[in-house]
Amino acid sequence: MLSILYIEDDADIGAWVRRDLESRGYKVVWLTNGERAVEEAAACGLAIVDVMLPGLDGFTVGQRLKQRYPQLPILMLSARTAIDDKLAGLRFADDYVTKPFHPDELAARIEALLRRTGQAPGDMLELNHLCVYERENRIVNRETGEEITLTGKQHQIFRYLLRHLGQIVTKEQMYEAVWGEPYIEGDKTLMVHIRYLREKLERDPANPQVIETIRGIGYRVKR
Amino acid sequence: MMRRRYKFTQSLLSHYWLLLLAALLFIPVAIPASLFASWAVNRLVSPPAAPPVYKYGTAYEIEQMWHGEAERLREATDADIDARLTELKRQYPDASLFWIDGEGNTRLQLPESPGRPARWTADEAVAFMKERAYEKSELFTVVAFVGGKERVRPEMMVLELPRSFLSKSYISLYGNRDTAYFGYILAAMFVFYAAISYGFIHRIRRRLLKLEAAMSPTGHSGIPEPVAIGRPDEIGQLEAAFNAMVDELTRSKQREKEEEALRQRLIGSISHDLRTPLTVISSHLYTLAKEPLTDQGRQSVALMEQRIGDLDRLLDHLLSYNLLASGRYALSMKRMDVLRIVRECAAAWYPLWEKEGIEAELALPDAPLVWTVDEQGFRRVLDNLFQNVVRHAREGGYIGIVTDQSGGRTALAIVDRGGGFSAEGGAKGAGLGLAIVGLLLKQMKLKLKIDSSQRGTRVSISPDPDDSTDLAKTDPPF
Repeated sequence: MLSILYIEDDADIGAWVRRDLESRGYKVVWLTNGERAVEEAAACGLAIVDVMLPGLDGFTVGQRLKQRYPQLPILMLSARTAIDDKLAGLRFADDYVTKPFHPDELAARIEALLRRTGQAPGDMLELNHLCVYERENRIVNRETGEEITLTGKQHQIFRYLLRHLGQIVTKEQMYEAVWGEPYIEGDKTLMVHIRYLREKLERDPANPQVIETIRGIGYRVKR
Repeated sequence: MMRRRYKFTQSLLSHYWLLLLAALLFIPVAIPASLFASWAVNRLVSPPAAPPVYKYGTAYEIEQMWHGEAERLREATDADIDARLTELKRQYPDASLFWIDGEGNTRLQLPESPGRPARWTADEAVAFMKERAYEKSELFTVVAFVGGKERVRPEMMVLELPRSFLSKSYISLYGNRDTAYFGYILAAMFVFYAAISYGFIHRIRRRLLKLEAAMSPTGHSGIPEPVAIGRPDEIGQLEAAFNAMVDELTRSKQREKEEEALRQRLIGSISHDLRTPLTVISSHLYTLAKEPLTDQGRQSVALMEQRIGDLDRLLDHLLSYNLLASGRYALSMKRMDVLRIVRECAAAWYPLWEKEGIEAELALPDAPLVWTVDEQGFRRVLDNLFQNVVRHAREGGYIGIVTDQSGGRTALAIVDRGGGFSAEGGAKGAGLGLAIVGLLLKQMKLKLKIDSSQRGTRVSISPDPDDSTDLAKTDPPF
């Protein structure tokens, strides 16, 4: 069971979030201030930090955590949404959720963050007719039982989409994440790779169900 | 404010009075002074050329000599007189000598003169004497009775010498050059005076310019640096006053900074204090929604959730507007492809549009549209506009994001098919969101244009045509 470090000073919200996250299958370590954050974070896979904390403020706590554990995903939670705060908070944080938030939104962000850092909760992900075993880098077609092998780039593209499960990613974002260089307008490389990827993954590549095209914006893989 | 007093003697006014006085006295003082100086210089530079030379002695000596000679001829015969005159002629070669006997006949003439009568009548003699007595006459003339003043004999002997031999100028010690330097000295005095008055004005001007340069804000935080105080005159006083002002400005800026920090903290905690209960309420609503509820109950929960969302957005807008309107939000302007930002923003909003049944149509060109914008600010603009579509134009079921050409510029347009601004009463919340859009776009030098009718709203953003640095350029990829 994955442990989440949660630092929140408000008792009502803290209790509620803990209950909700525990019901979703996470173990929650809830602290009401940031004093013991660094010690507790050692055993956790993700940290949720409220910005307004008594004593040490959330930004400082978050920065300390990031300094100590650069791999630890940090999600800032705050009531402050003024533009400057957003910038200051996101400089080190991996994501940002503002109060009041919907528990489903928080859960979705947590899942996305974990996926992005390779700590996806479940072993197996079901996408239409596909079973994806992320840790083993395996994709199986449930209908035929065949394993699908992808080339390096196809695999990288698909993994990027899975890390942003449910989100739409633009072709620029995808290209830059996979190729590691700025996207050049008019470059068809990505399109070509996606076409081949679809030929392998989709039942009907002409009518893709796994990798959705959002016209004018980008692509999405929805659960 | 403390005022530095200054003495009258140190004031610019007193210096000006001095200059004025010098100007008034220039003619009556400078001209005689120049003359005197010229004379003195002449004395200094031209040493006495030669000792006094009177070829035949002074007029007085000549007169004494002539009367002496006449007296010594008391017993002389005519021949003696002739002989003596001839001898004297040798001594005074430039003089002309003659004598007149008792009958008035002109006798020996050395040399002969055509105008001289051979026989003198009384009136001729008087005329002659009258003419020669006149000081300016050309010839210096001495007439002596032979034998002396007692008139022992009737004869007279006459000596004529051109006055030039006695003329003072002819034998001047220094030559006639006492006024030769007058012009130069006067000119030099004038130049000196002009230089002093120019220096007076120049110094004032230089100090004023220095002060002017100091007043243009160069120091950090946009406040001018204090200046060094020069002489304790009127300008010195101005400099002191300026320094006092700078000081005051620095203090007030400092105060403002502290107040701003306090305000930010206050806003932060107000925001926190307001949103925390909102979060608690919404958490309980969420729990409540999981309970078995009647349709009415579910509707109430949904309505409350929606209102909490509205309240949250309003709070956000209020705080952002506050920040923007007070000019505290520092934009970092960069040239970037805004279409890319639009696509990323749309990607974030797409799931909500989908959920609300809003069809999204993005018709954006492949080529980048490069504007100079603040990325966060531009995202905020798009967020607010997209939010307005979701909140106020949901019934239109459509959002279009397109580019179009107007006046040779590419504009970005967000189109919906909602009821338009005027038609709907629900535009309440749109005001603040749009005000933020307006402020941000203005700061980014972009122009906002809203066409709203009952069939929909079209919001277009384009570079301000008045601002040449923000031309909408479609750059080649690389």
